[in-house]
Amino acid sequence: MSEQTVDQEYIHVPILVDVPYRFDAGKYMTRFLVELRDNEKIYGIKCPSCKRVMIPPRIVCARCHVKCDEWVELSNEGTLEAFTIMYFPMTDPTTGKPHDPPFSYGSVKLDGCDAPIDHMLNIEPDMSKIKVGMRFRVKFRPREERRGDLADIEYFDPIE
Amino acid sequence: MTDNALWPFEVEQHITAMSKYYAGKIGSRFYITLRDEGKIMAVKCPRCGKVYMPPRETCGPCFYNMKVDDMVEVGPEGVVETFTQVHYNEPVIPREAPFVYAVIKLDGADTGITHYLGDVDYENISIGMKVTPVLENERQGNILDIKHFKPV
Amino acid sequence: MKRNVAIVGGGQTHHAARRQDVSQPEMVNEAVLAALKDANMTMDDIDAVLLGNMEFFEGQHMTDCWLADSTGAFGKPGLKITTGGTVGATIIAAGAHHVASGLFDRVLCIGFEKQEEGDTNAILSGVAHPLFGRSMAGAAMGFFAMLGSSYMANFGATEEHSAMVAVKARQNARKNEYAHLKLNIKIEDVMNSRMLAYPIRMLDMCPASNGACAMVLADEKTAKDRCKKPVWLRAMETAHNEQFVLEWRDTSSTAPKFSDVAATRVYKKLGVKDPASYYDVFEIYEPATWAEILWYEDLHLCKKGEGFKLIEKGITEIDGSIPVNPSGGVLSTNCIGASAMLRIWEAALQIRGDAGGHQVPRDVHRALATGYGGTCWTVVTSLSDSLED
Repeated sequence: MSEQTVDQEYIHVPILVDVPYRFDAGKYMTRFLVELRDNEKIYGIKCPSCKRVMIPPRIVCARCHVKCDEWVELSNEGTLEAFTIMYFPMTDPTTGKPHDPPFSYGSVKLDGCDAPIDHMLNIEPDMSKIKVGMRFRVKFRPREERRGDLADIEYFDPIE
Repeated sequence: MTDNALWPFEVEQHITAMSKYYAGKIGSRFYITLRDEGKIMAVKCPRCGKVYMPPRETCGPCFYNMKVDDMVEVGPEGVVETFTQVHYNEPVIPREAPFVYAVIKLDGADTGITHYLGDVDYENISIGMKVTPVLENERQGNILDIKHFKPV
Repeated sequence: MKRNVAIVGGGQTHHAARRQDVSQPEMVNEAVLAALKDANMTMDDIDAVLLGNMEFFEGQHMTDCWLADSTGAFGKPGLKITTGGTVGATIIAAGAHHVASGLFDRVLCIGFEKQEEGDTNAILSGVAHPLFGRSMAGAAMGFFAMLGSSYMANFGATEEHSAMVAVKARQNARKNEYAHLKLNIKIEDVMNSRMLAYPIRMLDMCPASNGACAMVLADEKTAKDRCKKPVWLRAMETAHNEQFVLEWRDTSSTAPKFSDVAATRVYKKLGVKDPASYYDVFEIYEPATWAEILWYEDLHLCKKGEGFKLIEKGITEIDGSIPVNPSGGVLSTNCIGASAMLRIWEAALQIRGDAGGHQVPRDVHRALATGYGGTCWTVVTSLSDSLED
């Protein structure tokens, strides 16, 4: 057996791993998603101690370590906190298909809430036309397309 | 909004990930020799003399790094050390049930490899049985270049 | 800590986009042998082996088991740790705790990643909530892009500032023989590189590297008896964000952030009043240019919203008054499971004076290293050549 050289062939074996999983949303996320799907309503949850309104709703306030149980209906309108224009064909891991670039994507804080939602922005992917501080409104998908996922929101529409 | 029953909310999703396993220096030599010459190579630790099959780069007990030059041909015949008959299918397993897995210690090796038994009456397999590999004609450079082991 | 703990040796592989010549065990073994040689030890001297990488990034589980022969873990106590991007620093923290507790005297710590073997974007998407954004996740790139746009809007920084960070990193990498991206680039090269997710361009992001780092930690007696230049682990702090709150991206937020919280605890423990003068060098975990600017602020090297002025004035250059990432950092080398450990190892090399071409031109007595993992947490490690401070 000869001593190996730099031009030696190296073997590799391709492997495809497909991992199915069944995810339980839990009590709080279930209520949030059912309201979103059935009633076009977006709920946050308020911490009884620090009074923050958080989204998505969760049972424990991480800062105060107390149980949250005050559900707060949020406005469908909010303010853009941060954004990006995605030029890279990022694959949707749940479908295996890429979202078509370029597209606008942003972080919108709904009125009455202390945390933003990251989602698609229905605005031309032109950085001169998107500004932090712009106002946006939630656009829900039609009822028959909604299935209890954050993607039941189709995108945020700019408010003229 | 009331607290009354919402059905438990479950979703079924999956994540698909590609990966590539790189066999490295010793592993590549093993697969290339199997593919091109139809020979099975193990590796012998020059320090303790143990012959590892499948070959690996480091002798664990000696923490000694073996070289391609330390590889030795073993088999092709070997002995069944243990076996099991599988009665269910798994997507990742490239055989339809029922099939037999065996750990086979090739002549000249000190450790066994797991592979399939074929061309055999499943009722008549025994530990200590002498077997020999059946190679694929079109070999790709992976462990399934050995189709299975059959009784001698 | 109950017992003092020192770094008594370490080593790393050369980092590269392609290492098809080696398997994972062979690659990890290179770093292990380098660390043992540097520590002047054999595997017989080692009491336990801790190993870590990103979960399933190579499509392989139980790497501690598969790599046991080549890491030297055969027959020894040890465990695998996976905490995401911070893992390399978490392994060192865990190793230090094992020594500090008195359980072991000499622990080998290993971090590695062979990124070319796996599908990092797909596996990383598993970090996002299945029903709250996984289908739209913009991965690390989208996160850092939004961080950048938010930072610029709030504080008046420009894309040129992030480009300065990109240039500094790659120019420093050219001085580091082990670094992956050794690029002789200027600001205009960064500005002209491909836009990935506004304002993040190709040269604003870290590469996908293959590589490993290993370090030997020891108790005070071993360190003093057997090591000429022990580097002492003086304090380590871990802090997490809360679920669904990407603390760094909300740049206008005044709430306590993981990074600031961990650094503040380290400073309090050691009585550090002015970190910029207390430490001689910083090795921070910056997967994207904008992250480095946030670290300046969160480590209290400047006021909030003024991080970009440090890079503008050249203060964090290798010969500046606050050198940050003379190694080239994560922007130049990102074998993720090793990246946070490399920060600590590079900091130790600076204290020993052994960093070679990228040794900062001053006496180095103390250094601070950070790890970073998404969705926003850190391990901050303070190192010193003395047990007196």
